[in-house]
Amino acid sequence: MSETPDFMKMSQQIYDQWEKGMSAWWDQVLENPAFLSALGENVANQSRMRGAYAKAVDENLSKMHLPTRGDLVRVARIATLLEEKVLQVEDHLLNIQDTLSRIEKEAITARIDAAETRIELRERLAQLEARLEGLEGGAAPRRTSRAKKEA
Amino acid sequence: MLDKMMEFSEFVTKFHFDGHPIGTAPHEVIFRQNKSCVRYFEPVERKAQPLFVSMPLINKWAVFDLLPNKSVVKALVDAGIPVYLLDWGTPKDEDAAVGMEELCDSVLHRALDRSRRHARQRWDTDVFDALGYCVGGTVLAAYCGLYPDSFRRVALLAAPIDFRHAGRLGTWADPETFPVDRIIDNFGNFPAELMGTSFVWLKPSTTPAKWKGLWERFEDPKFRETWSAVEAWNSDNIDFWGEAYRSYIKNCYFANSFFADGWPIGARKADLRKVQSPLHVFAADHDHICPPDAAFGAKDVWGGAVECTLLKGGHVGICLSSRLTDALTKWALAPEA
Repeated sequence: MSETPDFMKMSQQIYDQWEKGMSAWWDQVLENPAFLSALGENVANQSRMRGAYAKAVDENLSKMHLPTRGDLVRVARIATLLEEKVLQVEDHLLNIQDTLSRIEKEAITARIDAAETRIELRERLAQLEARLEGLEGGAAPRRTSRAKKEA
Repeated sequence: MLDKMMEFSEFVTKFHFDGHPIGTAPHEVIFRQNKSCVRYFEPVERKAQPLFVSMPLINKWAVFDLLPNKSVVKALVDAGIPVYLLDWGTPKDEDAAVGMEELCDSVLHRALDRSRRHARQRWDTDVFDALGYCVGGTVLAAYCGLYPDSFRRVALLAAPIDFRHAGRLGTWADPETFPVDRIIDNFGNFPAELMGTSFVWLKPSTTPAKWKGLWERFEDPKFRETWSAVEAWNSDNIDFWGEAYRSYIKNCYFANSFFADGWPIGARKADLRKVQSPLHVFAADHDHICPPDAAFGAKDVWGGAVECTLLKGGHVGICLSSRLTDALTKWALAPEA
């Protein structure tokens, strides 16, 4: 008694064979210079037709005193270019903001540095005065710079 | 079997490519310019330098956030990395004149500036790492060539740099046969439909294989969910900024400028040899959009140290893989060498 044929398996094999053959055939066609040349010519002709059609529609609309596609495209392009200008202004403002932030940061840092230097100097001066007083000992009461100022 | 066929046919009939919610990870838009914006994803605690991500210009950004359990941004944020993602947006007719100079010097430069300012206030740092995916990676590399000291470290994911190894896309983008000038002159932007069709024809067997894969694993609800999310994203291509596309094709696919004296952008040249930041290149072994050699070619032209990692997967599939998120997280958390 013969086995029932597995149709799924058979159809799979048929498909695989078909795919293999088709791929090989298309590979040849799609790499063929004559085919590519004809295809290129076809696309070029379609492009020319599309251009001619667009021109004809524009001319007709223009004759009817209606805005053409070209007009709308020009207006939209101008809007895009205006947006570019606005963004350039935004670029400048952001750069100015960056510069101002940097200057502000530098100014604050400079003020902090100056204050720290003043404190350091004051401490150093106090140390020197104390040292001087120590050196002079009790020989003669020394007038400190502050006392001199007060005098 | 009959039940499965009925259910399958109902699923296929009712499936709406735009009906699946993607890009749902919580974030805030911190900056907008024209159609582009910076999306900020905040971690609970910062454990690494902020990461600036440049997404592809040919698809929507949500490929990095397709599902909550398969989200690149969520994995990065959960690892403690603040993510600033540049979503280039969808260009309209008025943006056809936008070239590489405007994208690099205005959009990307300003997006990075605002991200730095935000990070300075939020995290007290403005030192950034950067990641670029697909053509977003190529543009990021070009930006690094123009502004070499912008980032501490850079990672490129499936981003073509050496266009001699660009695979079938490279064969198609031949100056003799590919009428890029004609297309841009007449369409303005490079049309999403043409882009989508070219990706389908890049490997025609993927379309039947996609449906076959769905049939085979149809009973698995998780697989159905992932399949739906990928299809929702995949069917939503966007136009490519017109003049930028012209420059990309002419200078990358036609002239392989990174390997000459740099990609001319405005009056300058994006020269990768000037960049000293370390680079990590990630590529996928089954990527037919950016073959591994096209990505790894960066090591021959990048000024700083370059490390390469080959991951299993395809160009898009890699974004759903934990192998990628693990590798990216490891790279982002690694201390500076």
